[in-house]
Amino acid sequence: MNSIVMKQDASTAIRELLAYLLSSGRVDAVLTMRQVPETGSCDLGLITDPSGMVEAEPFLPVMTANAGQALSSISMSGKRIAAVLKPCELRGFTERVKREQGSFDNLLTISSICGGVFPLEKVISGDLEKLVPRYIEKTARAEAPRGLRETCKACEEFVPMNADISVSVTEHGSLMHLHSDRAEEYTEGFEGERIEARADQSHIDRMMKSRSAAKGKLFQSLEKSSGLDGLVDLFGKCVGCHGCSRVCPICYCQHCDFESINFDYNQPYFQESLEARGALRLPPDTILFQLGRLTHMSFSCVGCGMCSDVCPVSIPVAGIFKKTGERTAGLFDYVPGRDSEEPIPVMVFKEEELGDIG
Amino acid sequence: MSETGTGKTEMTARVGVYLCECGPNIAGKIDLDKVMADILSESDRYRNVELVIRRYGFLCSGPGKQYLEDEIKENGLTHLVVAACSPRDHDSTFMEVCSRTDLNPYLYRIVNIREQCSWVITDPEEATERAATYIRGSISRVLRQSSLFEKPLEINPDAVVIGGGAAGMEAALALSSDLRRVFLVEKSASLGGGCGITMPQEKAVIEDPNVDIYLETQMSSVIGFLGNFEIGLKSADGKDEEITAGAIILAIGSDYSDPQESGRISFSESDEVHILAEAERTLEAAGDLKLRDGTMPETIAVVHCVGREEQGYCSGVCCSSSLKLAAAIRRLSPETAVTSVYRDLCLPGADGENVLRMARESGVELIRTKGTSLSGMELDLEKMDGTSEKRSFDMIIPAAAIVPAADTVSLAEMLRIPLDEHGFFKEAHRMTDPAGTTTEGVFIAGTAHGPMSVMSSMRFARACAGQVLTRLVPGERIVPEVKVTEILEAYCTGCGNCLDVCVYGAIYADTDRGISVVNEAVCRGCGNCFASCPSGALRTRHFTNEQIFREVDEALR
Amino acid sequence: MAAVLPVGSDLSGAMNRFLKTILEKDIVDAVLMPMKVPSGDSFAWIIMSDSSIVDDAEAMAPVMPVQGARALRSLTRKGEGSIRVLALMRPCEIRAAIELSKLGQVKTENLILAAYDCPGAVPMDSFVSDPSSGEDLFRKMLAGEDVSAGEVKPSCTSCVEFSMTDADLHFGHFGLGGTEVLLIPGSPKGMEILEALELPADRETSIWDEAVRKRREKQVASRDAAFEETGENIRGVQGMLNVFADCISCRNCRAACPICYCRLCHFESETAKQDPNSRLDSAVTRGGISLPADRMLFHTGRMTHMSLSCVSCGQCSDACPADIPVAQVFSFVADRTQKAFEYSAGRNDGDPLPLRSFMKSELSGIHEMVSDAEPGGHAHE
Repeated sequence: MNSIVMKQDASTAIRELLAYLLSSGRVDAVLTMRQVPETGSCDLGLITDPSGMVEAEPFLPVMTANAGQALSSISMSGKRIAAVLKPCELRGFTERVKREQGSFDNLLTISSICGGVFPLEKVISGDLEKLVPRYIEKTARAEAPRGLRETCKACEEFVPMNADISVSVTEHGSLMHLHSDRAEEYTEGFEGERIEARADQSHIDRMMKSRSAAKGKLFQSLEKSSGLDGLVDLFGKCVGCHGCSRVCPICYCQHCDFESINFDYNQPYFQESLEARGALRLPPDTILFQLGRLTHMSFSCVGCGMCSDVCPVSIPVAGIFKKTGERTAGLFDYVPGRDSEEPIPVMVFKEEELGDIG
Repeated sequence: MSETGTGKTEMTARVGVYLCECGPNIAGKIDLDKVMADILSESDRYRNVELVIRRYGFLCSGPGKQYLEDEIKENGLTHLVVAACSPRDHDSTFMEVCSRTDLNPYLYRIVNIREQCSWVITDPEEATERAATYIRGSISRVLRQSSLFEKPLEINPDAVVIGGGAAGMEAALALSSDLRRVFLVEKSASLGGGCGITMPQEKAVIEDPNVDIYLETQMSSVIGFLGNFEIGLKSADGKDEEITAGAIILAIGSDYSDPQESGRISFSESDEVHILAEAERTLEAAGDLKLRDGTMPETIAVVHCVGREEQGYCSGVCCSSSLKLAAAIRRLSPETAVTSVYRDLCLPGADGENVLRMARESGVELIRTKGTSLSGMELDLEKMDGTSEKRSFDMIIPAAAIVPAADTVSLAEMLRIPLDEHGFFKEAHRMTDPAGTTTEGVFIAGTAHGPMSVMSSMRFARACAGQVLTRLVPGERIVPEVKVTEILEAYCTGCGNCLDVCVYGAIYADTDRGISVVNEAVCRGCGNCFASCPSGALRTRHFTNEQIFREVDEALR
Repeated sequence: MAAVLPVGSDLSGAMNRFLKTILEKDIVDAVLMPMKVPSGDSFAWIIMSDSSIVDDAEAMAPVMPVQGARALRSLTRKGEGSIRVLALMRPCEIRAAIELSKLGQVKTENLILAAYDCPGAVPMDSFVSDPSSGEDLFRKMLAGEDVSAGEVKPSCTSCVEFSMTDADLHFGHFGLGGTEVLLIPGSPKGMEILEALELPADRETSIWDEAVRKRREKQVASRDAAFEETGENIRGVQGMLNVFADCISCRNCRAACPICYCRLCHFESETAKQDPNSRLDSAVTRGGISLPADRMLFHTGRMTHMSLSCVSCGQCSDACPADIPVAQVFSFVADRTQKAFEYSAGRNDGDPLPLRSFMKSELSGIHEMVSDAEPGGHAHE
């Protein structure tokens, strides 16, 4: 496919592309990670002024919020937007589009072969300055940097699915791959040598090897959390803050069922329960929420790891949801985010399915 | 209707925007053609919206309204924006036009480009731009408005009169008829109130088949509005009853100040000090005014203006009553020396003049003082020339100030009406609405309003009756407010913020469901509750956040 | 005057036994206490009617994963109950429960609120990562030993309401050498419990009073110093922006706050969601915006809604994944806003909630307060 050679480092090159897209009027706004140089704090920026590109850090290995979630509402504005998304963020966005929460209509998606992100605590502690250069070095060599999110270490979906433009940075050089007509159209006039090239397969293979191994280890470590006892042990210290749900790109409900009146009990109910059981946990439904959320969204889980990052009691939520998600999605041969036309399993019915599940 | 690829259908809105020239008032300052062109040029901002924009001479005229009606029908308009004058002038005019078509009147909005634009902005260019801004905002808003449906209610023509004194009885008699019941609610065990004499209306009221008298009963709760009140009554023996009525007349009368409150007056129970009202009653009943030991007093002092300084107003009727009493005592008992001690005399009109003449002719001694103190049975008179004279009397009759009745505060709270600075019920407007209050359907008669004579009390009672007679015609219907607030059960946690701030008492707590609920029949859509809810569990119809915010967003773009 | 409970070797154990006794004697139908979770690295609120289970509970937990008032709210908000429950909690949890009762969220008719002298708590994240060190630390704090301020939950180092509250019963143990604990009744309900147990309230409390007074002096000094620092840090718009720069809008602070009782927060509601077109228009006007948007609006809005009831329990900071000192900021603001209305959150003194009551005289007071206040925000250039 047509690819543009990036002479400088990927971040600088993409910054230039984004600035070009804005100043040429090809897009009205750009969504990308950015970092305030003075304070080091990062966030997602929706930038309309090309001069704002100076703060952009498109491939910063940090995820303060899942960009797929942040993109949802503005993608429906009818304005043209270029968004830099990590592969899991793009998959998460695709899952949201399937649920009428976003639109690809006026969107140019830019992604990259992803080396993973650091957990939030590393951003807060200010260690990024040291960590990022080493990260760039290692990922270029398909080596796994230390200290990443658990789910990033174990992520096998690091090659973007359905991005208009994907970036690969390998020992053989940095390339911008143009996957779609839109990508070709929008980059017309942007300076850069065009060549026929794909991403380096051996680089991808090496990455896959270490990722699969890590995934095996992660899932193995979670074995003990199966069964009710395992779940109670794992989620026993959950405080019901629902932060995991709030930062999840798939959890799109404006008003979560588990926070609604449907789970609001009256005193007589508690009294009856107490009578029957002798003791009750308050507030109730700790495990119910987790099981419920798994039921509602696990097959769409993209393993981004925002949930673990935000958990105030350090429960490894992401691993559990990723593991469960793969199994539930697997039941339907479904891969979240693989294809925006692929319907969500629980929203379609095929007569012959019943036999399989039975 | 247009279809999108995913099988959804979206309605195309047809918004009619009509700019009124209002002669030179609007068109003379604002370039209406430019406004229309500006708005049309950006019409692709609105998804699935077709705009029809026109200008017209005087939309409020007969032909103008007809034109609007025809336009709505011919263009199949789904929403309407009229850019014209103040809503206070013609909002209802154009709502009425809508109601002649299929267009729900609540899918329309009037934009003021006259009083708030052409009349106050001097630069025509600025005025033109501003008009476009307002109109664009309104288009944005009207697209988010919803149809609302009015439900007329038959009014309840009955009236409740609280207080069975002169004013209350007069009101009851003026109102009662075969088509209208009157509930006369009296706290004490008998009618008559503070008059001291049996009023001639008492017999008529008792015999009137259309007046229900409740003695030893008080009003305990009220919700509702003009034409539609639900009233709780509680009798002295604890029984509760609910009645419904369309109007409430407060005729609870007044009280007298405690003479000893002034600090300059002090006496004990054993002293022969009797306030004016008491003395009047005794005189009427017994025909004379004896001391406790049965003898006639040789000297009596009637002291005017007691409590006047402390209360801060003249009670207006006591001078007349005092002098009448003084003259009456003189006629009955010429050997008794009667002295009227006053600071000023308040004796208006021919009646007043007569009373003064009577008092003088009957030999009442009139002494003017700068101030008067009483200790036991001795008056200390501060004369006008600065000297001080101490005089003892066998009987002293202070004319105490008229003050609000004890129940005034609780009734005001219950009915959410304000009190004036002296604690009497406050009228809606001194000149234009002296019998009404700020709560529609609640009226005040008699001294509950402030010091006044029995005659004036009865006049006021008739004024209240007049209001009720004209405004609550049996068989007529009223339309309760539709732009009311609703509470979304899903989001309400029953914290009661809204309940506390509702001035109409339209919200109650449902403890079973643990939520607050709005009684839509009582709600007036003021929006206090909406502002007080931290959850956004309340929605005020026709004034949702979505409507207002999008209007502002568009205007500020 | 108070009753006395002998302690033996273990203060917590003595309190447990007390609660077990009142349950066994049917003085209450159930007790609400913390219990360690199966994984051993946290605690949960357990209401128990079976007295044998009380043995597994711990009267005073080293951490506060869930604010006790939240547990009380979930239990009592809706419907009418008939069982009598005694809840043993930290003073800040009692105070939050009292605020919630004014807000119709906690019903106290059948509740007996009991508290104890609180030496503070261990931060959630350090406890979870090393529970045994956390337990050791708490033991030291209970014994009154010196611990480094950095190890304790930050809001606890500034807490001045660590002792008597308007609870029905209070376990006072500061300054008593760990051999006995005072049972101080705070209400007729509390007195009834002592009477039912035939515990005479005949011990005078001066030693304990003095210990509490001394500690409060230190805490006040510590709080004032913290407030001064916080005040400087949040000065002006830029100050606030700096403090909240790392916020990821996860809303953990709101979820952890006992006062935030809304089922659907205003800032998650339809109202707060801006039309995508308008959002983009804002981005155009300003050259760029942060997403998720309206971060500061959320914090200042939440402050507006709950500041007058804030009891400075510090759960917000504990729950924040970005280590933002939310509690310091909110506590500082709450101190000022409550003072403006002469209102003290957490007291059962009949003072109505300021936001719901109107007194004409207030208007002049606020006006003076505002004009006397130090000049507000000048963005740092």
